[in-house]
Amino acid sequence: MDNNNIDFKDLWKKQTISQPDIEDLLTRLKQFKKTSLRILWITNIVLFATCVFIVFIWYYYQPQFISTKIGIVLTIVAMVTYLVVYNRLLSTFKNIDEAQTNQQYLQKLIFIKRKQQFLQSRILSLYFVLLGVGISLYMYEYASRMSLFYGVLTYVVLFLWIGFTWFYLRPKEIKKHEIKINNLIEKFEEVNKQLH
Amino acid sequence: MEFEEIYKTYWDRIFRLCMGFVNNYDIAQDLAQETFIIVWQKLDTFRNESSLGTWIFRIASNNCLRQIEKQKRYPKSELPVHLTEEKQHSLEPQIQFLYQCIAELPETDRIIISLELEDVKQNEIAKIVGLSETNTRVKIHRIKEKLTQKFKENGQQ
Repeated sequence: MDNNNIDFKDLWKKQTISQPDIEDLLTRLKQFKKTSLRILWITNIVLFATCVFIVFIWYYYQPQFISTKIGIVLTIVAMVTYLVVYNRLLSTFKNIDEAQTNQQYLQKLIFIKRKQQFLQSRILSLYFVLLGVGISLYMYEYASRMSLFYGVLTYVVLFLWIGFTWFYLRPKEIKKHEIKINNLIEKFEEVNKQLH
Repeated sequence: MEFEEIYKTYWDRIFRLCMGFVNNYDIAQDLAQETFIIVWQKLDTFRNESSLGTWIFRIASNNCLRQIEKQKRYPKSELPVHLTEEKQHSLEPQIQFLYQCIAELPETDRIIISLELEDVKQNEIAKIVGLSETNTRVKIHRIKEKLTQKFKENGQQ
């Protein structure tokens, strides 16, 4: 077989190319930064606002029971943990060195994805536990001031809700993440194998 | 080298590399632009340890690999409006066929052959991809054989 019959290099270079104006690129650069920043801001603001709201309740209603205070603290800890881990994950992605060899880069991608997979399921469970315990403790003071019937009813509803999030929402959420990440890891590993 | 100069010098080469990877004009434009965005952001970290070309091609090919992930997230991306006007390209079928064949290769082979066709030296290709030189040479040879085979089967010769 003779390779020289076809001049691949010549064909390759005949591809039509239009070089966009450099201004276009700079505009896109700004958009790029804006979108990623916006996502970061929205998550942080939502979580921050919730925390502020809870602190406000603390001051405004002056809870008497220690259980209420512990509840508030646990809820805040849950949110802050989630926030910190989420931000850390984003920054590992940003800090990945794009100027490595393809092989190193692929390995790094696989490593990050694995870490993400681990963190997401762990942190999500921790988040639900802390939040559930926190809210249950927090509600106790207010429920104890209600009549027995309403107090019990409040807790029944609360536990139903917590059960729903734990047994339905949490596994669903974890599974959704896992399928996506597992597919990616598989694909990256397959590509990485091409280099061996 | 100034960024603008780099952009002008390397755009065509980076675009073809991306085009070889995805064989889709719009996505390739996007990937090439993304590459230059990274180059723009990281230019001050470039330390002359490798040649500028190697450095840029590494960024471009890694960005192509990263595309595997993005493919699933954003199926179609937006482009600056006035680019679309120039998209009417009636290429020779042979050129189209070459790009199509390359885009059907395994991912890393696409990168390797694109770099080879860009006249990047084989030892540089090895440094970009992270393979040994011997390995790279063997791979290039095999890919070329595969392409020739496809051209023959298709009666493109």
